[in-house]
Amino acid sequence: MIRGTVIGQVWATRKARGLDGQTLLLVAARDAEGQPTGRLVVASDTLDARVGEDVTVAFGSGARNVLRPGPDNRDLLCDAAIAAIVEGAG
Amino acid sequence: MFLGRVAGTVWSTVKWPQAQGLKLLLVRPYRVGDLPPGAAAAAGTTASEPTDDLVVCADTLDAGPGDDVIVAFGHAARVAVSEKLAPGDKPSVPIDAAVVAVVDRVEIPR
Repeated sequence: MIRGTVIGQVWATRKARGLDGQTLLLVAARDAEGQPTGRLVVASDTLDARVGEDVTVAFGSGARNVLRPGPDNRDLLCDAAIAAIVEGAG
Repeated sequence: MFLGRVAGTVWSTVKWPQAQGLKLLLVRPYRVGDLPPGAAAAAGTTASEPTDDLVVCADTLDAGPGDDVIVAFGHAARVAVSEKLAPGDKPSVPIDAAVVAVVDRVEIPR
């Protein structure tokens, strides 16, 4: 997983069917010291994260488990999802 | 997933049969410094950073050079592509990146 800050939202009409209904947020990644790395990630959001909030983003099967926990989620189109809204890090 | 701009197309004739008919695009990932100033402010950075490597992506949405797209990696990429292929091809498509959306709008509050 990575930690980052939500900086915006992405909208698309022409998309793969599997993305229908997903909210896609733009997250700016942060490094171990909490500094922005410049890298951007597009992540599915189920937690109503808002712009400016720090979040963790899970990838791969971990991301699918955010959208639908369990072993039968390999039909989901999701490789990155907001897994938590961060309140503090030290 | 990441946000990027289509920079070009890749052709190949020698490839795994499962990949026949798949269009391949070159996509350059956006970084914070490429977006409007509001994005850098929200991310807490003003530095201009080096550009990432280009990513070769399968495309089933007919994206073209200049389009802004969302690209998914890994299993999600194969799920996206398998929507357009015969059911039997699903697990065997040898790709790990695919265009999953052509972006209309990126909303970054000021």
